[in-house]
Amino acid sequence: MNTIIIDGLSFALPLFIMAIGGIYCERSGITNLAIEGLQGFGAFCGALFAVCIAQYFAGNSPIPFYLAMLFAFLGGMLFSLLHAMLCIKFKANQVISGVVINILAMALTEFLTKQINASIFGAASNKFVLGVSARITVPVLSKIPVLGAVFTNLYPFEIVIALIALIAWYILYQTRFGLHLRACGDNPHAVDAAGIEVSRVRLIAVMASGALSGLGGICFAYSISANFSSNIYSGYGYLAIAALIFGNWKIMPTLGACLLFGFARSGGYELVKFLEMPSSYQDLVMVLPYVLTLLMLIFFSKKNHAPKALGEIYDKGAR
Amino acid sequence: MKNKNNFLHRVILQTIGHEKRQHYMIPVFTILLSLIFGILVIALLGKNPLQAYYNLLQGSGLAPKASYAGHKGMITDFTSFLNALTPMLFAALAVLIALKAGLFNIGVSGQMLAAGFTATVLIGYSDLPAVVAKPLVVLIGFLIGALAGGLVGFLKHRFNINEVVSTIMFNYIFQYVISFLINTFYVDPVSRQSANVKQAGRLTLVDVVVGDYKMDIPLGILVAVVGIAVTAFVLHRTTLGFEIKAVGNSIRAAEYAGIRVGRTRVLAMMLSGGFAGLAGVTYYLGYFASIQPKVLVSTGYDAIAVALLGNSSPIGIIFSSFLITVISKGSTYMSSTSGVQAEIASAITGIILLFSACGAYVQYKVNRWKDERNLKMEESQ
Repeated sequence: MNTIIIDGLSFALPLFIMAIGGIYCERSGITNLAIEGLQGFGAFCGALFAVCIAQYFAGNSPIPFYLAMLFAFLGGMLFSLLHAMLCIKFKANQVISGVVINILAMALTEFLTKQINASIFGAASNKFVLGVSARITVPVLSKIPVLGAVFTNLYPFEIVIALIALIAWYILYQTRFGLHLRACGDNPHAVDAAGIEVSRVRLIAVMASGALSGLGGICFAYSISANFSSNIYSGYGYLAIAALIFGNWKIMPTLGACLLFGFARSGGYELVKFLEMPSSYQDLVMVLPYVLTLLMLIFFSKKNHAPKALGEIYDKGAR
Repeated sequence: MKNKNNFLHRVILQTIGHEKRQHYMIPVFTILLSLIFGILVIALLGKNPLQAYYNLLQGSGLAPKASYAGHKGMITDFTSFLNALTPMLFAALAVLIALKAGLFNIGVSGQMLAAGFTATVLIGYSDLPAVVAKPLVVLIGFLIGALAGGLVGFLKHRFNINEVVSTIMFNYIFQYVISFLINTFYVDPVSRQSANVKQAGRLTLVDVVVGDYKMDIPLGILVAVVGIAVTAFVLHRTTLGFEIKAVGNSIRAAEYAGIRVGRTRVLAMMLSGGFAGLAGVTYYLGYFASIQPKVLVSTGYDAIAVALLGNSSPIGIIFSSFLITVISKGSTYMSSTSGVQAEIASAITGIILLFSACGAYVQYKVNRWKDERNLKMEESQ
C-alpha cells in the first residue's frame, strides 16, 4: 500500500506540474500540444548543465540536482518562445506548431546529445547519465498511519512541485493577472477593450507552460530513467494534456486526474508483483490508467468545455 | 540597404506574390528557406553541406552512389525508398481527411499498430496463398483502422470526448495490449519482436530478381496512388466530401445547411482510420515483416506535419511525403559517407516543418507588401 502511494505520487506530481503549465497556456487561448517537446528540451538543458558541473561537486551532493531543475525550468521557457513566436507573432496553426515543436525538440536534443557527447566528453553515447535523486522522509508526519506514506521516501522535487503548484494556483485564481489570463482564453476582445495587451498575456502564459514542462521533464529524468536520453519522450507530455482536458482545464480536478494516473500505474505494478505474474503482464496493467480515463470521460465529458477562444488566432480586427 | 531590401521585396513579390500560385509557391519557398538553413548548420559543423545533401539523394536511390554491393544499384535503392514512402503517404492521407473535417487524428500511430497487428495474426501467420492473402491484408488493414478511427469519431459525437485525448489514450492502450499479446504469444525469442510474417501475406515482394538486380517491390505504393486519387475524388466531387469540408469549416453553418454533423464526423474518422490502417499494414507487413513490442512508430506524428506541408491537399502530400522520406531514408547513407550524424536529418525535417508552419504568416506579409506597393503606385499616378 505504501509503495503504491510513494511511487504513485512521484509519477503524478511531475505530470501535474506539466499539466498546470498546459492549463496556463490553454486558459490564455493557446492550444498546447507541445508539452512533450518542451519537457524533453527542458530536461535536456537541465541534464546537460548537471553533467557539465558534476565534476565540481561530491558524488552525493544535491546541488547539481537543484541547479539542473533551475536550468530545465529556463530551458523549457526558452524553447517555448518558439511556440509563442509561431502562435502569437506568426499566426501559425497552434496544433501544428505544437506537433512541429515536439518533432523538433526530439530531433534536436537527440542530435545535440550525441554531438556533445562525442565532441566534449569524447564518448560515443546517446545519453547523459544523471543517477537517481536522493529521497527524504519527513520525521513526524511519516508516522501517521496510511497517510504517512505521502511523507515517506519523498523525492525533493515533489516538495518543490507542491510549492510551485500552490503559487501557480494562487496566481491563476486569486490575482488580477490570473483573471486577465483566463479572460484571454474566453474573450480576448474584451481583454483588449479593457486596455490589456492580449499577446503579452499569452506570451507569459506560454513561457510559464514551457518552464513548468521543463521542470516536470527533469523530474522524470531524475526519477524514472536516471539519465537523459530519447527515453524521455515516452508520452508524459501527452499524458499531461489528457489530464488537463480530463480536469476540465481547472487545476484541482487536474490534480485528481494526475493522481489517478499515478496510482493506477503504481497499483498495477504492485498487483503484478503481488500475484507473481510474469513481467509481460505489466504491459497489461499499464493500460489501466488509460482505460480508466476513457471510461470516466464517457461519464463526465458532457460537462467538459474548453476555453471559448482556445486555438483561435487573435485578430484585433475580427468581430 | 534600403535599396537591397526593395530588391528582395521585388523578387519575393514576383515569385510568390501571385495569389493563384501562392498555394504551392509558399510551401516551396519555406522549404527552400529551411534547406538553406540546413546548409548553414552542416557547414557550421565543418562538413560539406552540398555533399551531405547529395548523399541524401544517393541514399534514396535518386542519384548514383560511388559503388554498390552485388545485385544492388540505384534502382534497388529507389524501390526500397518507395517501400518506405508508402506508409508515410497513407498516414498523411489519414491525417488529411480528419483535418478536413476539423478533427485532429493524433492516433494514426496507434491505428497503424492495431491494423498491422490484426493483419499479422489473422493473415500473416496463415497458410493462405499469396493471391488471397495480400488483398485480405489490405482489406483487414482498412477495416480495423476504420473501426478504431470510427470509435474515436463516435466517442466525440456521442459523449463529447475530445478526439485529441481519446486518440492519445487509444495509442497507449493499443501499444501496451499489443505488446502484451506479442510477448505472450507471438514473440521471436532471438529478435525480441513478433515472429516474421510469411511471404504470402507481405505487401512488399522481397529480393525479386529483375535482370541483374535483387530488389524489394512495394505493392502498397499502387494502393497508395489509388488511395490518393480516391481521396481527391471524394473531397472534391462527392456530397460526402462537401459535407466533410463544411463541417470542418464551421459546425454551425453545416448544421444550418442540414448536414448531420455527427454522422459526417464519424464517417470522416472512419476514412481517416482506414487509411491509417493501410499505413499500418504497409509498414508492418510490407516495409518490415514484424512488430517491435512497446514501440509506437513516429510515422503517425510526422504525418501530421507532412499533411500540413502538403498544404492539406491530396496532391500536395505526394510531394511533402517524398521530401520528408528522402531526408529520413537518405540519412543513414549520409552519416556513413559524410560523417554527419544521422540525427541531423530529423532536425532538418523539423526545421522544414517549422518554417512551413509559418506559411500563413508569409502569405499575410507578402500580401501586405503587395497592397502597400499597389497603394504607392496609385498614389504616384
